[in-house]
Amino acid sequence: MASSRQVPEVAAPVRPDAHPTYPWPLTGASVLGQPVKRVDGPEKVSGRAKYSYDIARPGLLHGRILRSPHAHARITAIDLAAAEKAPGVKAVLAVAEPGKRTMYQGDEVAALAAATEEQARDALRLVKVEYEVLPHVATEALALRPDAPAVFEDGNVREGPAEESGDLAAGFAAAAHTVEETYTTQVQTHVCLETHGCVCEWEGERLTAWVSTQAVHGTREGFAEGLGVPQANVRVITEYMGGGFGSKFGPDVQGIICARLAKLAGAPVKLMLDRKEEHLAGGNRPSSFSKIRAGVAADGTCTAFDAETWGTGGAGVGAGFPLPYIYNFPNRRRRHRDVYTNAGPARAFRAPGHPQGCFATEMLMDELADRIRMDPLQFRLRNLPEEAPNAMWQRYFTIGAEKFGWDKRHPTGDTAPGPIRRGMGCAANRWGGGGRGTRAHVEILPDGGVVVRCGTQDIGTGTRTIVAMVAAETLGLPVEAIRAEIGDSVYPFSGGSGGSTTAAAVTPAIRVTTGKAFDALAARVAPALGVEPAALVASGGRVHVKGDSSKGMSWRDACRRLGTEPVAVDGEWEAGLSASGTSGVQFAEVEVDIETGVTRVTRMLCVQDCGLLIDPLTARSQCYGGIIMGVNWALYEERILDRNTGQMVNPNMEWYLLAGMSDMPRIEVILMNQPERGVIGLGEPPTVSTAAAVANAVANAIGIRIRSLPLSPHQIVSTLMEQARLGGTR
Amino acid sequence: MALKDDPSDTKPPSPEDSGFNVSRRAFLRSVGVTSVAAGVLGGPEADAQTASAARFGPDAVPVTLRVNGRTHRLQIEPRVTLLDALRDRLDQTGLKRVCDRGSCGACTAIVDGRLVYACSTLAIEAQGKEIRTVEGVLEGTVLHPVQQALCDHDGTMCGFCTPGFVMAAVSLLERNPAPTAEQARAALDGNICRCGTYPQVLEAVLHTKGVRRG
Repeated sequence: MASSRQVPEVAAPVRPDAHPTYPWPLTGASVLGQPVKRVDGPEKVSGRAKYSYDIARPGLLHGRILRSPHAHARITAIDLAAAEKAPGVKAVLAVAEPGKRTMYQGDEVAALAAATEEQARDALRLVKVEYEVLPHVATEALALRPDAPAVFEDGNVREGPAEESGDLAAGFAAAAHTVEETYTTQVQTHVCLETHGCVCEWEGERLTAWVSTQAVHGTREGFAEGLGVPQANVRVITEYMGGGFGSKFGPDVQGIICARLAKLAGAPVKLMLDRKEEHLAGGNRPSSFSKIRAGVAADGTCTAFDAETWGTGGAGVGAGFPLPYIYNFPNRRRRHRDVYTNAGPARAFRAPGHPQGCFATEMLMDELADRIRMDPLQFRLRNLPEEAPNAMWQRYFTIGAEKFGWDKRHPTGDTAPGPIRRGMGCAANRWGGGGRGTRAHVEILPDGGVVVRCGTQDIGTGTRTIVAMVAAETLGLPVEAIRAEIGDSVYPFSGGSGGSTTAAAVTPAIRVTTGKAFDALAARVAPALGVEPAALVASGGRVHVKGDSSKGMSWRDACRRLGTEPVAVDGEWEAGLSASGTSGVQFAEVEVDIETGVTRVTRMLCVQDCGLLIDPLTARSQCYGGIIMGVNWALYEERILDRNTGQMVNPNMEWYLLAGMSDMPRIEVILMNQPERGVIGLGEPPTVSTAAAVANAVANAIGIRIRSLPLSPHQIVSTLMEQARLGGTR
Repeated sequence: MALKDDPSDTKPPSPEDSGFNVSRRAFLRSVGVTSVAAGVLGGPEADAQTASAARFGPDAVPVTLRVNGRTHRLQIEPRVTLLDALRDRLDQTGLKRVCDRGSCGACTAIVDGRLVYACSTLAIEAQGKEIRTVEGVLEGTVLHPVQQALCDHDGTMCGFCTPGFVMAAVSLLERNPAPTAEQARAALDGNICRCGTYPQVLEAVLHTKGVRRG
């Protein structure tokens, strides 16, 4: 065991005793655990679903932002006069002021709103901005050079805290072999298909904003703060949203600009970023560089780990990540530096930091295993933390290896004739996924209708569906009988949908509030049945005495007894229904064409838990989605900045590559149900370990380890050519 | 902006209705190629082309679009794309603007039986043609079989790419009601999904039954 914990959740208490009043039905559930179709599926497949991008309001204007074309510059003058007079223009404002510096290509300078989007684009070209172009640093290497221009006021580098545990010298002394290598990962942009943006409309001093956001309440707060208006005057609506992945948590600069333009123009304004702006300014996953020296004893025990790490989150944002990841290194040290560059700032991105830490550690694990000629899976089993409900890797690796056919993995490079080389790799993930604080409001109406209101939002994960499922389960009704209203800041508070917290925060609130609503109904129905309210339950569309469904009445008849006064109940998240801490493992099989360098991921397998499984259909989709995003990061995606100009050379969707249908591996998902732990989030963990498993599989296929992502054809071919030139193996 | 929306009109518009009808090729000639050719080559051939080519814009011109069986008369600049005409002028927002340059498929429409990227098609090019969008795929209030299959197989997550996939799948299934996995993959390769619904979309398309050959 490690002398201090590397996996914090291992120490976290598992769920305390089940909820005293409204525990999950661990047996006999009618809805929970069933593959329930998304309740908003028909709206989405028919094109009727209205996203923020789709909102039209009477007299709607279209806003656009003018952005700095330079990586680093000082604005010396902004002249808006010509733009103000352009056809259709209703409002113009300077976002930056003369004297201010723009810190990256895409930094906001000015904005305007016009009657049509075409007119807005035309008018934007009439804004005259003069820049004094300043020295910039486009890459980590350039920023770290001793003679680098000091671009950022406090320097280009921020030293992170040193982490140290155990006795490093003793650890290396105990090592039979050491590995010293550097592992790197690239910057990845979110590429939300619905770009960032909103529609803002004022009525006097009250603002209504339809925002593509992961947090309607947080965005309301952000608007109030950014505009200096009371929160009570702001309403944020997100009925549907087209992906966020961690990048959409507030109004952002463009939201505040949109609201200001709408105020100036006295008309509603829509301002959605275009694809280029999205790449430049909509957030990204920072790069990572991990220079690691590690030791392994002859018996396969990891003894020492010494790392220097750095990465860039662009202009002024950190690039931290957990390291070493999961596996025990009893003696370890790590020093991290955030490197600032003149590039769009990083934001949270699905499992922030974890894929980077996982990649470096899992690559290293394979290398250490190779040194002592041990099967990498056996080697992992030897160095994993002790098993716990949120640390089930040993079991999952064993289950997965069996299912995947790990015994067919050849120990070193594929020696098959021909250009196609096959290989296998594996990797583990962990995540928290706990949540709390959500409130809800439930109405049971005299006509039998049920309305559940909660100020959470569905970012594509299926939140609306699980809200309806939990209410349906609690009231003994079919899912279709529940009207789940979410995505509006007028509904009771719920936090942002990030960190995989939503399911664990929202479902307990819905369970408790719906349970209370049923209690209120029971109190009004019980006298007619001549029983105590506590004797009543709801199941199969009836309200009846527990254990005797004949003694009762239909749901509709029960609700009719409410007369004209519906049940209306507020409630909130309570402990005992959700927990934190998940574990999972993934296996990858690849084919690499050593003549073209093209890698295909042919198979992926994931073994993943998420506590109590609510909807296996949407849970499976989270795993598919996480894995596919991981394949993208492993093989295709990369924000490429020109080192001389600081310009992004692929700010689009044809040169910023994403996998399509034909690139898909066959994916098998094994969900491990842990109902006794309550609900835990699943959005993040499945994407953490995919790239590491793929990269290990590529190394296994070609017999050469490529330690940086993406594993592009260029990188693979040039590595193989270099290898051929040098001879021998590394 | 003049905007007429006449649901009772079920006749296809004649070219005379809209004042002009122009093929993509003719349009390109009129706006760009001709002037280059005239400048470089000169001569009678270039002159003849110039004389025969129509010029449109830059101001708004009348444009008539036939969308899902209904005729819409618009007054728009010739540079307006089919996607923007549908979304911003007709409030038909099912098709999405995602990459805005023909690489992601979220704006996929069927025009005269062929799949097009509506973001990279000018509205005036689509005149006189039958334009089908995701809104027209519903059969009354009943989902098209492929839409139903997408719901059944969880083929939609955030849903922003879904309408484009629906159109690509409808087009495929009308040509080939029982595609192989290989054929389905190839037909759907022009559409990008960021949430990662590809496995479920493929499952859905392969399980769709009852689409009539179009």
